[in-house]
Amino acid sequence: MSLIGALNTGQSALAASQAAIQVIGNNISNSGNADYTRQATETTPGPEQQIQTGVFVGTGVEISSIKRQIDDALESRLRGSISDTQSAQTTQQWLSQVQSVFNALGTNNLSTSMSSFFNSWSTLANTPQDMGQRQVVLQQGQALAQQFTAVRQQLTALGTSVSSDLSDAVKTADTLASQIASLNGQIVTASNGGTGSPNALLDQRDAALKQLSQLMNVTTQAQPDGSVSVYVGSQPLVTANVSNGVAIKNTDVNGVATPTVVFKSNGGTMPINGSGQLGGLSDMQARITGVVDQVDSLAHNLIYEVNQVYSGGQGLQGFTSVTATNSASDTTKSLADPASGLKFTPTNGSFVLHVTDPTTGQSTSTLVQVNLTGAAGDTTLDSLTASLNAIPGVKATDNGGQLQISATTPGQQLTFSQDSSGTLAAVGVNTFFTGTDASNIAVNQVVSTQPQLLAAAQNGDPGDNQTAVAIAGLASQPISGLGGASLNDNYQSMINGIATQAATAQSNAQAAQSVQDTLQSQRDSISGVSMDEEAVNLMKQQQAYQGAARLINVINQLMQSIISMTYP
Amino acid sequence: MSITSINFARASDLLRFDSSSRQIDNTQQQLLQVQQEISTGNRINDPSDDPGNASIIIGLQQTSVLQTQYLANVQQSQSQLNQADSSLNGLNSLVTQATTIASQSVGSDVTAAQRQANAQVVASLYNQTLSIANTQFEGSYIFGGSRSTQQPYVSVAGGVQFVGSTQVLQNTANTDTNLDFQISATSVFGRMNGVNGSADLTPALTPTTRISDLRGASGNGVHLGTIQIGNGTTTKSVDLSNADTIQDVVNDINNAAVGNVTASIQGNHLLLSTTGADNITVTDAGSGTAAADLGIGQQTGAGAGVAVTGTSVQPNVTALTPISALNDGAGIDTTHGLIITNGQKSATLNFSSATTVGDLLNQINASGTDVRAQVNAAGTGIDILNTIQGTSLTIGENGGTTAADLGVRSFSASTALSSLNGGRGVGTASNGGADFQITRSDGTSFSVSIAGATTVQDVINDINTASGGVGITASFATTGNGIVLTDTAGGGGTPSVTALNASTAAVDLGLTTPARGNVITGADVNATPPSGLFADLSALETALNNNDQAGITRAAAALQNDQQQLTATRGKVGAQTQELQSLQTSLQTQSTSTQALIAQIQGADMPSTISKFTQLQTALQASLEVAAQGMNLSLMNFLS
Repeated sequence: MSLIGALNTGQSALAASQAAIQVIGNNISNSGNADYTRQATETTPGPEQQIQTGVFVGTGVEISSIKRQIDDALESRLRGSISDTQSAQTTQQWLSQVQSVFNALGTNNLSTSMSSFFNSWSTLANTPQDMGQRQVVLQQGQALAQQFTAVRQQLTALGTSVSSDLSDAVKTADTLASQIASLNGQIVTASNGGTGSPNALLDQRDAALKQLSQLMNVTTQAQPDGSVSVYVGSQPLVTANVSNGVAIKNTDVNGVATPTVVFKSNGGTMPINGSGQLGGLSDMQARITGVVDQVDSLAHNLIYEVNQVYSGGQGLQGFTSVTATNSASDTTKSLADPASGLKFTPTNGSFVLHVTDPTTGQSTSTLVQVNLTGAAGDTTLDSLTASLNAIPGVKATDNGGQLQISATTPGQQLTFSQDSSGTLAAVGVNTFFTGTDASNIAVNQVVSTQPQLLAAAQNGDPGDNQTAVAIAGLASQPISGLGGASLNDNYQSMINGIATQAATAQSNAQAAQSVQDTLQSQRDSISGVSMDEEAVNLMKQQQAYQGAARLINVINQLMQSIISMTYP
Repeated sequence: MSITSINFARASDLLRFDSSSRQIDNTQQQLLQVQQEISTGNRINDPSDDPGNASIIIGLQQTSVLQTQYLANVQQSQSQLNQADSSLNGLNSLVTQATTIASQSVGSDVTAAQRQANAQVVASLYNQTLSIANTQFEGSYIFGGSRSTQQPYVSVAGGVQFVGSTQVLQNTANTDTNLDFQISATSVFGRMNGVNGSADLTPALTPTTRISDLRGASGNGVHLGTIQIGNGTTTKSVDLSNADTIQDVVNDINNAAVGNVTASIQGNHLLLSTTGADNITVTDAGSGTAAADLGIGQQTGAGAGVAVTGTSVQPNVTALTPISALNDGAGIDTTHGLIITNGQKSATLNFSSATTVGDLLNQINASGTDVRAQVNAAGTGIDILNTIQGTSLTIGENGGTTAADLGVRSFSASTALSSLNGGRGVGTASNGGADFQITRSDGTSFSVSIAGATTVQDVINDINTASGGVGITASFATTGNGIVLTDTAGGGGTPSVTALNASTAAVDLGLTTPARGNVITGADVNATPPSGLFADLSALETALNNNDQAGITRAAAALQNDQQQLTATRGKVGAQTQELQSLQTSLQTQSTSTQALIAQIQGADMPSTISKFTQLQTALQASLEVAAQGMNLSLMNFLS
């Protein structure tokens, strides 16, 4: 118990207030920083002195800590919700782009092009011999083919952008993981093994974690030494000051190189499970691939269905020679065997080949059987060639797997009809479209340069229109290749699928955003700086400071008194 | 709009700023959405705005486009039929003129010169008719059927030849509705006369007979599906749906290996036999009709080891049918062939090098006799039709049975007398006495009465059984057509036939032709006569030129028939036009309501959208104001 002791008490109060004011200043300066966590000075009374038995007197105040006002559990939930929101928003943004590729409710899209194409056949049926209308059919066919290729190109371009975004995001995630690892190291050092609280470093690490959770959902586990371990699923991404890193690896999914997010350290697949931007982007890749597949399937079936009807039709004149547009890679395999290399699968059936003399109108018809029952002796391209060769006046070759059929008698022409097997369409003889899917669909060059070959007839008469009528009605016919749906139905359900996904993504994004907003508000409420509060605290500390200063002044006077008593 | 809970212990500055900014952001977003709705007038601009309704809109748009196309097709069909109708109208007045001329040219007060002058007018009508027959509409010949790229009627020696098609074009006029937009030339200018094959040539099955070429046991075609074959102990399902030919069906059944049951082709049907004790049953699975259509349905087994003999699956005659398979496998006489005579043109054909019906038809069509040979509509035989209006067609044997086998012999022993001479029949003695007398080569003669005879064979019998008729044998020609009288009396003269009792029978039976040696080969008196509008106009012209009153009267009667046919066809065209008209009205209504439905589903409800816009505008203003003022409030402002 002494004046000096009291002086020390005053001084401790001055020091505490100064520190508190500095913290307040720091809070005020960072009030606009969203990553900043409000800090509060925590003080404890100084150790007591026993001045006589059982009587203790305080020795002032001590700063016990400067604490960040944070709810770690809330932070963790917030990070989870951020990753949900990011995932949903990413999906929504890209899906809306996918949707806009189709322009489904606009005036120029796949559906309108298909309608225009089929309707042009219907118009041709009114005047089947009209060259002008034949040109219109060819143009509408080209427009439809271009529409398909354009849609596919745009979708593929979107896929490429998604991949490039994904690889950027992966780089960011890798940097963030390294940053967290490095911050872990600094925090362990600064906190002296977990006893101290290096608030700025902690804020930086929280900010990095928050950024990382935008990219993927991570869980954290605080370690006693002050570091946090970061997990993706149950697998560690950051342990102490070591990051396992994030990288992209192209893995083979059904023969297509698909980028996958992996751990850089061991190449293991990172279980991001659709979370965060990375999850959204990975997911988008699969979705875009799915949509491309759907467009391809629609084009594939359109090509085959139109060609199947078309190949049994005849133009204003026949062929002197016709070369197949599709080739078989193995001419000894059954035409129905995928190993034959044909992209379309014919069925058991037959077609009729007519050798016609245009001057007399006489035609010789021969039934060509295509046995595809799965038993031995199924028709191969070689055996088909042989049976065509056996027809008088016909020469067939299949050099390089590409069937070529010619009339051997000068002036004679070849026409085809009644193909119940789909073989002509499968190998590409007397077809309207060439190609196998949306990437390569086009109008057969031979027809587009010679509109008189366009097959509108079915009974061999040049003025007949039955093939044109049949093709015009194809859009709403059920197709076995599409599971019994028609081309129109298939398009509709494809658009509906994309629209539903986009709508779901939109409402998911809204819901996730709402959760994130709530959690963020809670976080702001706990950890955000309130100027009013800081002002009050400042006043409080000012008062305390002034009081302590007064105390020191009084002690000073008291000491002066005593000194003057000693040295008058 | 996301709503953030505001139940917080502290309101930090960050919280206040953030929530204000989120609020403003939200309102802005909604404003943008409403703004887009107002500017496009549509509530649904992207499918994701309302996936369910967007799908409906896409479907309706497809329907709408189709309706527009149907409407265009209907209008095009109407134009084409209107053109046909006006052609028919023109034709009608031409025919009326012709019949008027005919009736004016009959009578004793008309001179030969006047008739010849009238003939000039008829000749001009004939040419006008030809010109109408080749009327074009937008580049296609309206009476050309599916050969509308070329003139359907061309002037040739002997008359006018029809080179068009009788198959009329159709187009889609509504969902699942295809309507004719042409009328058949033959319903206007008269059908092609000729020989409609009388023989049922239904062929035997061959391994390559296509299922699609079968009329099936019930005549409704064969609808392939799954059948159940049992043998009393086991029953197996056999899926026939991939079969293309009858051999495929046989293979499918045999591959199923039900006991010892094996299938095979027998004639025009299938046979399921067994070498074991199988009690064969064949039934259809579900509602299928494959077993019944294939004629092998057997609900309950007929007993152990008893074969199932199917009923005929009625294969059609097609161009691909082998000639040897015709007549249920009996084939036809291909070595002798037949003789086709059309007007001045004649051809003798044999089919020894033909293997298919297609080859046979090609050979007939290429014979240069201007006939059109084709498989009949029912698929049971062949027709040989005369494409020329103005000539007579006969088809006879060439020493064999080819024409009879094909059922295309135009005249035979079984021909009814009443149908001879273009339907005028055979005249007999009015007093009931003998009709003609046959003089043998030795100068003796006998008389024959054909009273009571109804067919040519009856006449042949009458001659052969006539009293005192020894030395003359009547038969039907084996080459060409006609009654042949062979004289075996061995005299020095030639046989001859002369009429008795003013009977026209000898002439009507073609027996007055002079004998060659000891044989009188009667004329073919059953040629298919010239018919059709051109033939009738031509006949009128000829009759007028020849001052032939009976001919004029006959031609006039024929023209009246033509006119009735024309009137009927015009009625049909009228009905077609009316159907199209009502379809047009209904399509227009449908199209309008489809558009209305699209607008209703897709369109924005403007009053409510605009009031929503106003509401959001107010909300935004309030948010902005509150934010601006609220942010200024701070204790700091009050400290000095």
